[in-house]
This record gives sequence, C-alpha cells and structure tokens, in this order.
Amino acid sequence: MAKNNTMNRKSGKNWGQGITIFLFLLPALLLFVSVLIAPIAVSLYRSLQDWNGFSEGTFIGLSNYKELFTSGSIKFTVALKNSLILAFFSVFVQLPLSLLLALLLGRKIKGERFFLSVYFMPVLISTVVIGQLWLKIYNPDYGLLNRMLDALNLSSWKHVWVGEVGYALGAILVPTIWQYVGYHMLLMYAGVKGVNPDLREAAMLDGATNWQVDRYVVIPIIKPIIKVCVIFAVTGSLKTYDLVRILTEGGPFQTTEVPSTLLENMLFLRNRYGMGSTISVMLIILCFAFALLISAAFKEKEN
Amino acid sequence: MEDTNKKTKKNDSSKIQFEEERYTLKKTNPAVKVVIIVFLVIWAFINLFPIYFMFTFSLKSNEEIFGKNVIGLPHDWLWSNYSSAMKTGNMGLYFLNSVLVTVAATAITVIAAMMATYAITRIKWKMSGLTNSFFMLGLTIPLQASIVPVYVLLSNISKKPVIGGIFGINTYASLIIPYAAFTLAMAILICTGFMVEIPYDLDEAARIDGCGLWGTFFKIIVPLMKPALSTIGVYSYLQCWNEFMFANVFISDSVHRTLPVGIKALSGQHTTNWGPIGAALCIATFPTLLVYVFLSKRIQESFIAGAVKG
Amino acid sequence: MKMKRLVSTLLAGAMALSLVACGATEAPAATTEAPAAETKTEEAAPAPADTTAEATTSDAITLDMWCIATESDSNRHAYEAAIADMQAAYPDITFNWEAFENQSYKTKIKAAVSADELPDIFFTWSCAFLGDFVDAGKVYCLDDEYQNWKSELPEVMLGNTTYNGKHYGVPTTMNIVGLFANMDLLAEVGYDEVPGTYEDFLACCDALKAKGIIPFGCAGKETWCVTEYLESVIEKSIGADELNDIFLGRATWNNEGVATAVDTFQELVTNGYFDPAGVGLTNDEVKANFMDGKYAFYMNGTWNCADFAANEAFFPKVKVAEFPVVDSAKGKLGQLIGGPSDTLAVAASSPNAEKAAAYAMELGKLICHYGYLDGCGLPAWIPYGDTSSVNGLTQAVSDICANADSYVLFGDTAMNADDAQTYLSYVDQVYGCQVDGAAFIAGLTADIR
Repeated sequence: MAKNNTMNRKSGKNWGQGITIFLFLLPALLLFVSVLIAPIAVSLYRSLQDWNGFSEGTFIGLSNYKELFTSGSIKFTVALKNSLILAFFSVFVQLPLSLLLALLLGRKIKGERFFLSVYFMPVLISTVVIGQLWLKIYNPDYGLLNRMLDALNLSSWKHVWVGEVGYALGAILVPTIWQYVGYHMLLMYAGVKGVNPDLREAAMLDGATNWQVDRYVVIPIIKPIIKVCVIFAVTGSLKTYDLVRILTEGGPFQTTEVPSTLLENMLFLRNRYGMGSTISVMLIILCFAFALLISAAFKEKEN
Repeated sequence: MEDTNKKTKKNDSSKIQFEEERYTLKKTNPAVKVVIIVFLVIWAFINLFPIYFMFTFSLKSNEEIFGKNVIGLPHDWLWSNYSSAMKTGNMGLYFLNSVLVTVAATAITVIAAMMATYAITRIKWKMSGLTNSFFMLGLTIPLQASIVPVYVLLSNISKKPVIGGIFGINTYASLIIPYAAFTLAMAILICTGFMVEIPYDLDEAARIDGCGLWGTFFKIIVPLMKPALSTIGVYSYLQCWNEFMFANVFISDSVHRTLPVGIKALSGQHTTNWGPIGAALCIATFPTLLVYVFLSKRIQESFIAGAVKG
Repeated sequence: MKMKRLVSTLLAGAMALSLVACGATEAPAATTEAPAAETKTEEAAPAPADTTAEATTSDAITLDMWCIATESDSNRHAYEAAIADMQAAYPDITFNWEAFENQSYKTKIKAAVSADELPDIFFTWSCAFLGDFVDAGKVYCLDDEYQNWKSELPEVMLGNTTYNGKHYGVPTTMNIVGLFANMDLLAEVGYDEVPGTYEDFLACCDALKAKGIIPFGCAGKETWCVTEYLESVIEKSIGADELNDIFLGRATWNNEGVATAVDTFQELVTNGYFDPAGVGLTNDEVKANFMDGKYAFYMNGTWNCADFAANEAFFPKVKVAEFPVVDSAKGKLGQLIGGPSDTLAVAASSPNAEKAAAYAMELGKLICHYGYLDGCGLPAWIPYGDTSSVNGLTQAVSDICANADSYVLFGDTAMNADDAQTYLSYVDQVYGCQVDGAAFIAGLTADIR
C-alpha cells in the first residue's frame, strides 16, 4: 500500500481521462450501488420506521434502536455477545492455529503438498453440507461424538451438544473454526512462501533457529496478510448465519442467536421490516467499526 | 521492515524457482520434528475424518449407522441411497445450477474488479483513495442487509416483459448479479494487492510506446494479473457456493435451485433416514473435492507466486 | 352412525370456533350459524360433479400454487389426489404447483407478498398470518365465490379467515392438540387407560420415570412444540375463555392464573418428565422417537394421526386423549386447543383471480376430503362419500371434538407475527427454566405491543 505514494505521475486534469476513469469504474459501480449501497440507504431510512414490509410505514425515530437493547424477547444483546465470542475464538484460536500450520508447512516439511491440500479441503465444502454433517456428528442418540464417548467409557461426558445451554455455542464454534482454519492457513502460507529464501538462509547462518526465523523474519513480513485475516475473521463472525441456522436455530432458549438470525426472524417471522433494517444498520456499523479498529491497531504496531 | 520488502521485490524473478533451491537446514532436534509431524498428521486426520464419516454413512442403512457399525466401512454398500438422493432430491440438477451461478458470478466479479482496481491504483486522480474506501465498505456489509430491497427490485423487474425473464425472480441472473456484487469488494482488495506489485515502470514504458490507458490495461496489466484469478476464484467460489439466504428467497422454482437449498429441502424430507442425506452431502461435495485434488497444486502455486502484499 | 357423530363434531366445532374468530369485530354469531350448519349437513353427500360445471367457463389459463405439502408432509397425498382430480376436471387450466419446506415457506411467502409476487393460489395459516396480508390488500376477497359453496362449507369454519366481515380463505382441515400415549409403555406401569385426572397423570409420570421410561418427548428446537404442552396446561388451569381473550388481545397477559399455570408446566420440566435430549431435536426426530417407543406421551397436533396409522408396528399401541384438567375451578374437559388453520387463499394480484377463487374453493374441498380419509385432520368441509376407511385414531379425535364445548386456536396462529414471536420467545425461556411464571407474564405484558 505504501507504494501508492510513488504512483505514476500522469496529469489527471483533462476530461478524457476523467471519462476513462469513470468507464473503468462503471461495471463495479453499477453492481455495487444497485445491490449494496442503494438497499442500505433504503434500510437506513426504514430503520426509523415501524414497517411490516407491505403496508405504509410510520416514522418512529430511534424507537427501534431503543427497543433492540431493552426488549426481553428480541435478545439482541445476547446475539451481539455471541458473535463477539465467535470473533474472539476466531482471532485467538483459529488464526494462531492457521499461522502455526502455515509456518510449519513453510519449512519444507515432508508431505507439505499433501497436508496443504488436506487442510484446505473443509473450506471447499458448502456450509450447509458442513452443518448437516456436524448435525449427524452431534446427534444425541446416534451421533458420532456421543457414540465415541460411549466407546471410550466416558458416557458421563455425553451431552446434547446442540441443545444444552453452555454447549450449543461451542458446538457452533467447533465446525466454524474447523472449516476456516484452512482458508486463513493458505493465505498465510502464501505469505510465508513469499518470504525471500535468502533472508531465511541468512538468518539461519547467523545461528537463528527455525522458531526465531519465523518470529523475527517471517511474521513481520506477512503482517499485512495477518491483518486481512483478522479483519475477515471478525467481520465474518459478526455475519455468521448458516451454521447457526442449521445447527441450533438460535436455540436452546435463544442462547445462540446471532444478529443475522435475529435479522431474519424480524423480516420473515415477525413481519418487522423496520426493526430488521435497524439490525442490518447495526451490523453494518459494527462491521465497519471493527474493520477500522483492527486496521488502526495494526498501524499502531508498525510504527 | 522496509528493507526486507525491497529485497523481496528485487528477487521477484528468483521467487518462482524457489522450489528447486536448496539451503542448508540447521539440524532440528529430531524429537521436535516428530512432534511437528505428529501434530500435522493429527490435524490432517481431524480434517479428513468427518469427510470419511460422511462418505461411509451415505452408503449405510439406518440399522448400520445406529447399530454397531458407526465408523467402519459399510457392510452392505447401499448405492440406492444415491439414486434416491438423485431422484427425490434432484441433486444433479442443483449441482449444475450451483456451478453455473458460481462461474458466472466469478467471471463478472473478476472483470469488474480488475477494471475498477486499475482505475484506483494505477491512474492518478484525486478521489482514488476515497473510491477505494467506498468499495471496501463492501467487505463489511452483510448479505442480509439488502435482501428485502433487492428482492423488491428484482420482482419489479420480473414484471417487465423481456428483461423479466432474464433478470427477474427465478432466473440465474437474480443470484449471479447479487453474488458478483457481494464478492466485488474482496476481489478489488485482492486485485489491489496484486496490482501494486506490478512495477510502475511498465506503465511508463507502455506509455512511451504509445499505449493509452485502455491499451496499458489490456496489454500490460491483464496478462500480469493471471495469478490473482485463482485467489479471487477461490474466494468467489466460497461466497457463491455456500450462499443460502438469497438462493432460498430469490428462487422459488426447483429448476433454478442451487445446492444449499436443495440439501436443506432434502434433509427436511429425510430427517430420520440418514443414508440419502449423506448421499446428497457427498454428491454436493465430492465432485468439487475431486477437481480440487487435481488443481490444488496450481491453486496453491498461484497463491505463492502472487504472495499477497496487503 | 358414523355420519351422525361427524355432524355433531362439526356442530360442536362450529359453535366453539366462532369464539375464536380473529377479525374479532364482525365474526359470525354462533347462535344463528349453528342451525344453518345443521340443515346443510343433511344434503352433504352430493359429489362435486354438479359444482364443476358452473365453476368455470373454459378458457385456457395458467394457475400457480405454492404450498407446504412436501414429500414428507402428511398432507402430501391429499394434495396430489385432489390436484389430480382437479386437473382431470379442468383440462383447460394449466395448474402448476410447488411445495416448500415449512420454515422457508414462511420466509418466501412474506417476501413474495411485499414484492407483489404471490402465485395465484397460496397456502397460508389462518388468523394473524393471513390477516397481515389482508390488511395490506394483497388477498382476493372470496365473498362472491363463497355463495356457490355455502351448502358444503359451513360459514363458521371461515371464522379464522374472516376479516371485517369478509371471507378471505378456503379452509381445508382442522386440527386440535392431542395427548398421544404409547399404551405398551403405560401398561408396564400398570395403566391400561390414559389417566383421567391430573393427580393420576402425575402419578403415572412418576411411575414411568421410576421405571426408566421418559414420560414426554418435546422438540425444543421448534418452540411451537412446547406450546402444544404449555397451552394445554394453561387452558386446563384458567379455562378457555380467559385464554382466548388473552390470545386475541382482549385481555392482557397480566393474569395470575397464567403465572400459576406456567409454574405448573415448569414443574413438569423440573421433575424431569421431559426427555432432556429433546431440547436439541426437531419435531420430526421427536416424533420418530415416540414411534420407536422412547416416550410414553407425545402432545402434538392431531395431523399426526395419519403418520401413526401408517406405521403398522406402532399403530396398535397408540391412543389419543384429552389433557386432564389441572384446576377444576376454571378449566374443564371439553376445552381444546386447535381449530381450522390450514387455508388456501387467492392473491389479489392474480390476473385470473375470479377463476382462481373458484379453483381454490374446489381444490380446498378435495384436499379436505382426501386429507380426512388419510387421517391428516378433521374436515372443515362437510364430508361426503364413504368415510368408513378413516383410521381409528382420527375417529377417536372426532369423539373428543364431539364432546368439546370450546376451542382456543394455537397461540402463535392467533396472534400477529410479531406478538407470536415474542410469545414463543418467552415460552422458550419457560421451557429452559430461565424465567418463571411471574417473569413470563411480566415480560409478555411489557413486550407485547
């Protein structure tokens, strides 16, 4: 990014160039504005209304925002907490694991290709498939997990994994982490492999161990990639939807709701498009705030 | 930090051949090496086992799955599970639909993203930074935020005579365009990473040779952006292949249905009969995994060659 | 003999149902309607042939329908048979229909309503669900068309789809909540009948528990399954009238009786009568468990009769009964939860709305007919033809209905969508023992808008 400054010095003052720029941007702008920006503007407007989706809405100011945090049945605070927990585990469990794997595989381990290919496999599987598959693993009576615990004489450890408060969120967390470790790993691995071998060699000749090379040479170089991974992990967690919908439906007792499932409930179960818009606005704000925060944190560290 | 970056840049050409390079490894403690290998093997096992489990139960009857034979290979290979998933579940058609939608959305994203990125990173103008931030908003916008406004829009289009049949509800385009739009921000981010890596001297050289902005873009930039394609492709695949909400709402006929919705529908029909569900899951999964096994090297190499620089 | 029983069933239902009418404002009055229904039942037998002639003038048109009769739905066969009949009778009308899974259907239909994209005919639930669409002017009024069918469809059956005195829905079947019992398991603890009093019922549960048999199965993943239990307990504690008033917004939730009833229900939970694994299961899974003999009791809609009857090994073991009275001061036997809810409606936006209305009426009648024969529920239309093949369980439900004096429609159907979700949220919290009766009524009083 730093290279933006040393950019091509073309004079950007004539009209022709302006039109060219516009034409270059046109396809992206068309897509972007019609599918993302305009609907969001509509959402912003609707978030201030009590609107059921088909009749005329009535303007109610910020009441929706207030109700979101005070209602005993909407559970937005629970949903928010859950997605932050997901984000926390993604950043502090999933990403370190991805980094570790990327670093280890970057060392020319035997079978590097094999491991790489295997680790990336779950990423390629549709989330709906993964949800259904894990549902079968978690099944309280016939599921793999409980049957394995039985076989190991650990029957007392058995649980209704997706149905018990305290376990259900974990039951969502595990497949989420499981699925995306490979994705982040491949991104980081790409960075690790991009590190000039000369640098590594030089450090090794100076007597550094593999770990030291990773710590002081590789990680600083791939920091921009790590930043991207962190942003993905956090915003991805805030947007979580499919696995929750399939594994727990937000249950038991709404303890695993996330903002997206609430949003869907608002639109399609409660007919409250106004409140649904409010949640999407909240989501957008949150995602954006976190992205900025993370970028700032990384910039701070660099300086 | 700056230093290392420069060095890396200088060695761009040698990077591609690093596979062949050899450098002396310090003798690592063999015990540590074993621990590392064991760790890697265990993690590989954790990754493969659920897939194996899915495969085996797709070929078993409930009696076997619920009985003694939970994780072993099936005693009776019940291929009939597959025919029932294909017949009642229509998985073959849904698979093709998913492929079509994913490929089309990816193609549109790639073209739009490359053009936009070129304008943002390689032409100097006042608003380029702002435009980039504008597009980056897309990274944070959840799909769910626009479902209703987009649906209303699509339905209005549906009522128009000719266009309605191409872009309205129950068309492939009703998924392709939103998917492309939601992948766009990511694609631009990736493209930016790749494009700033292309030496700016090349633009200058092209200009001296008399190329305009369009000429530079098509003759110089596009060919050099090939490595970016697979990265964008992978991300786009993930986004489109997985997408469930839009597919569920925008497509009401079974002709245009995609895999996730098809699987959800099938699992609703066979809640207690695991075999056909397993078969559907396998049908949805193994073709892509197979393709991946053959192409994995290429995908990974383009990742490495590109080595995203944020 | 059988016919008589059904007529009385209908009458009882008719009188009670008018209580429920959601429009609340101009519901048909029970006293005037009931005799009317009676006179009509006598000529109920005629086959649909005479009506088909006048229903449509032949013009080639296409009608689309959305419904929830997927392959696994117990109504599937009734839909298929009815549609086959209709297609044979009206070769000029190209009829396309598509079935969606229940939950995604709700999503889809609401999105379609807001976008004016409804198919000509669509399946809907009565009361508030359809009411929102009616309020928005998206549903075609069936008053004119109904005149042609008056003799076969008692007007009281339209109570749940009548808004401001106008009819908007074609009911198909009606259902109540039944207490299904696995008599084999009950026999193990010495019961050969479903216990008739609440004390006896609790004693039976304790005995079952002591023997290691789980008394109840209930799908925690689908909160409506919890309401099947909870609403029955509340109704048998505070009586049908009070509960009806609350559901229809004529009284607030701030009702001590409800709080006590909720605590009573929660005792069943805390006593360990419910399968703890049920929390993580869907209704289909719980139902399968019940048929596998895992639970002694299963409270759910009487549409299940068809599936139970279809399972040869299980059918001889199962019996259906009414939930016993908890507080005899207010609740009494004959007060049931249920009513006609499955409905077909016609989109106002349909280019052939008039023909679609005629088609929907006749289709609804046939679905009702076949559904009843299959045991998917009790008929909302006056039955015709030979009904002796109806399974014994459905006939037992008929008996219960015949002795009923009032019905309260399922709470989540009676309330508007938003309130229903608020209600379900609190029911969920009750089942999870996160709130008690007092907190339940306090929360609902505060949150219901």
